[in-house]
Amino acid sequence: MSLVRMKCNECIPERDKHMYVTGEEPVIPSCNIATLPGDMTERGCAFAGARGVIGGPITDIIAMVHSPVGCAWYTWGTRRHLSDQYAWATKDRLTNVAFNRRFCVTSDMQEKDVVFGGMKKLERACLEAIRLFPEAKGLIIFTTCTTGLIGDDVQAVARKVEKETGILVFAAQSPGCSGVSQSKGHHDFNTQFYRQVTELRERRPELKMREEEKTPYDVCLVGEYNMDWDLKVTRPLFEQLGLRIVSVFSGNERIENLVKMPDVKLNIVHCQRSAEYIAEMEKEGNGVPFIRCSLYGIHQTSKALREAARFFGLEERAEQIITGEMARIEKSIAFYREKLQGKKVAIYVGGPRVWHWIKLMEELGMTVVAGLCTFAHADDYEKINAKAGKGMLVIDAPNEFEIEEMLLDTKPDLFLCGMKEKHLGRKLGVPTVNSHSYEKGPYAGFAGMVNFARDLYQGIYAPVWKFQWGLNGGGETTDAAE
Amino acid sequence: MRLSEIPVEGIPYDQLKIEKYTCTPEYAERPADLIPSGARAVVVNPNRTCMPLGAMWATMGLHKGIPFVQGAQGCTTYVRYTFSRVFKEPATIATASFHEDAAVFGGRRNLIEGIRNLVVRYRPEVIGICTTCSSEIIGDDMVSNIKAAKAKLREEIGREAADAVDIVLINTPSFAGSHVEGYDRASRAFVETLATRQTGPNHKVNIIPGLLYPGDIREIKHLLRHMGVEGITLFDISDPFDAPLRPPQKFPYEPPGGTTATEIRDMANSLATMALQPHAGQAGARYLERKYGVRALVGQTPVGVQGTDDFIRGLSEVAGLPVPEDLLDERGRLVDSLADTFHHTMMKKVAVMGDPDVVLSVTRFVLEMGMEPVALAGSSVSKTFVHSLREIFEEGEFTGDPLVINGGDLFEFEEYLKKLSRLDLVIGNSKAVDIAKELQIPLVRVGFPIYDRFGYQKRAIVGYRGGEILLADIVNSILGYQYPDDRTHQL
Repeated sequence: MSLVRMKCNECIPERDKHMYVTGEEPVIPSCNIATLPGDMTERGCAFAGARGVIGGPITDIIAMVHSPVGCAWYTWGTRRHLSDQYAWATKDRLTNVAFNRRFCVTSDMQEKDVVFGGMKKLERACLEAIRLFPEAKGLIIFTTCTTGLIGDDVQAVARKVEKETGILVFAAQSPGCSGVSQSKGHHDFNTQFYRQVTELRERRPELKMREEEKTPYDVCLVGEYNMDWDLKVTRPLFEQLGLRIVSVFSGNERIENLVKMPDVKLNIVHCQRSAEYIAEMEKEGNGVPFIRCSLYGIHQTSKALREAARFFGLEERAEQIITGEMARIEKSIAFYREKLQGKKVAIYVGGPRVWHWIKLMEELGMTVVAGLCTFAHADDYEKINAKAGKGMLVIDAPNEFEIEEMLLDTKPDLFLCGMKEKHLGRKLGVPTVNSHSYEKGPYAGFAGMVNFARDLYQGIYAPVWKFQWGLNGGGETTDAAE
Repeated sequence: MRLSEIPVEGIPYDQLKIEKYTCTPEYAERPADLIPSGARAVVVNPNRTCMPLGAMWATMGLHKGIPFVQGAQGCTTYVRYTFSRVFKEPATIATASFHEDAAVFGGRRNLIEGIRNLVVRYRPEVIGICTTCSSEIIGDDMVSNIKAAKAKLREEIGREAADAVDIVLINTPSFAGSHVEGYDRASRAFVETLATRQTGPNHKVNIIPGLLYPGDIREIKHLLRHMGVEGITLFDISDPFDAPLRPPQKFPYEPPGGTTATEIRDMANSLATMALQPHAGQAGARYLERKYGVRALVGQTPVGVQGTDDFIRGLSEVAGLPVPEDLLDERGRLVDSLADTFHHTMMKKVAVMGDPDVVLSVTRFVLEMGMEPVALAGSSVSKTFVHSLREIFEEGEFTGDPLVINGGDLFEFEEYLKKLSRLDLVIGNSKAVDIAKELQIPLVRVGFPIYDRFGYQKRAIVGYRGGEILLADIVNSILGYQYPDDRTHQL
């Protein structure tokens, strides 16, 4: 195993320590450290982590973005964390999209607010929003660079508004310029939410789950955000097992259920980068144990079910479910495996999905030739090393140059990436699949894997790739190739 | 095994249908006192986004031009995401990556190192430095920082190579304006920094298109070509944001086209500057007029008959060239289309939302169709929006009294539309999709952003030919919606 140097980094040697090729000895690259300015990073900000990833999926809160208009606008209905809770649009029709993605609510800070402080405006905005939206059972104030820098005490506003309205009000203070990536926002949200829920439960014990409501099979699914209705396929698996999912942190979840997180018997942690923090705190503070799992691919989803079953002594039922699901998807998977066999794939995601998907790709007969992570930490790279075969290129916090060079060097048949990178891949003639919010999900669980395989298949077998080399099939732009 | 032998979907679409729950038992009207934007502190569903986006848009229209955003990473990533979503293209934008240390000590180090790292790898010709809320609040002395960054560049790559990179500062704190103003400020910043008086006139016409799509810019170029006028398009996004898939590509990927720095320098020597969106690009045109005496023609965007007529007349006048027959034929075809369709457009009630210049020019066009505007929502607060609308009403002999929202939010707009007894059509961007669907009214998509459908960025709504496309969209939407069965709708 060795650290590698890419051509594009010859004049930025600081980047060398962020990349390696898997081999005999495990290497942990430099990670979760400051981005080099101007290196054309793909990273986002801490606010995105708090507002977009974790706060956004909650179905019945007002997400009050305390900022100038941009931060609110960009997070309005963008991420596809879907929900089944709708507002009424008219007397006889529901809104076109669910409540959590239908409205964008902001204090819209103007120059004078920046100069004189935005707390008064925020308080007024919160009170008005609560009057405007009786749909909301809670409100979360998200701070941004602007309101973080001018030092608005949003916690004080939150307390005041809660007192006045009786609605649950939380603060998520995670300005964009705090931390080195989105990951800081995940962490901030976890710790602040845990602390505020703990205080809330002390203040208002009636919000806890009553003893008589509890069952021995109460669990919480942590780090599952219901991208493109992943929960539609994963939730029933656990329910068939006999578990009661009291709460999901935070996909398609009601705020009152999130307050009941400490009342469960077990936390099942899916995204171990963005949400293991709260599972750790629940374990430490409330004695709720947790297990880690992956709900992608046949092997891993089966393992997750088996481990959850073992905790509750339901092993037999787990086997029945797995057998049933396998029977359902076997034929489709066999077809796609035949088509995908031997193909090379590069994966660029936030972090954990690289290691979530190495096994899944193997199950489809594919090899992961490169794994790139925007905001992974050391433990993610440990997991990657444990799952990857030899010779896989790993890049931490890659930038546009490195992604291009990776595509040219490793020549994958398919590039799994996000919205920003997928068009770049296509321009270079590499088929891409949006693996952040999926092309046509859900991708999780057994049934989701067939969708995933279908989209991978479509990526590689789309007729368009036959036409890309021009009129005479040789790529006419002779001056472009260097 | 064959595809036909397997169930291709892991989970068939009908099984994905979800049971919908409602947040409240029944519909309740929102409190009336909180409906007008002006009566609230809270903004719900903003109709505009932040200033840096406009400046980044502008810089993306330059040949080997890269925006460098002096702020946190989100300020860049969100905009890149938005551009990719709208244009289906890569958007290469650099960030200063502000972390805590920048918030405490300022962004000087980030800028100097950032420019260095960007230039040594990418070798851009132009860098547009867009400031953000954070850098403006921290109070970075950007002029001195840029000097220091240039000095560092000279040290490392030599004076000649360093001086070949033009660095232009655009101050764009989000709390001081919208994306429209960001573009406007960029138009001034680039000509102010780069344009220089040469010995003689270049006989060209400057075009500052504003926040128009690639298809629109291509249509404007078509009009120029047929008029026989050579133009300089400032911020020509038509190729960078609608690039062909033709590998192999250069490494690093370099989008084709874009306005060159040399062309911008030459703008001081042109016959005139035509700013096609008064709110986005006028500042650049006015600057060139004041400083170099280049005449500024600032009119409504050339949408529809009269809008395009104004543009063509202006072009003909500044270039001293007659309008050729083929353009008169294009005009005639648009007029012919209006004659063929007015039975289905006249007296139809329409609501328009979007950037002020889109609302103004589209309103002018729908009045040419005999439609009746009932609500008009401009995204960005404007001193001239209301007055310009009044002029358009007068010209179109329209005496109605529509709701006019000047910079207010879409919540006010939608609540107003809900209460109307009749509405036939909504014209606007993707942020109006929910409103239109909930009201079961057809939506014709124009303006920025359109991300939920394909192809709108590739086609034109400007010019006579663009007018035909937009007219067809409007008429067909009305026909599809108004006549659900076989009742006659003879065209």
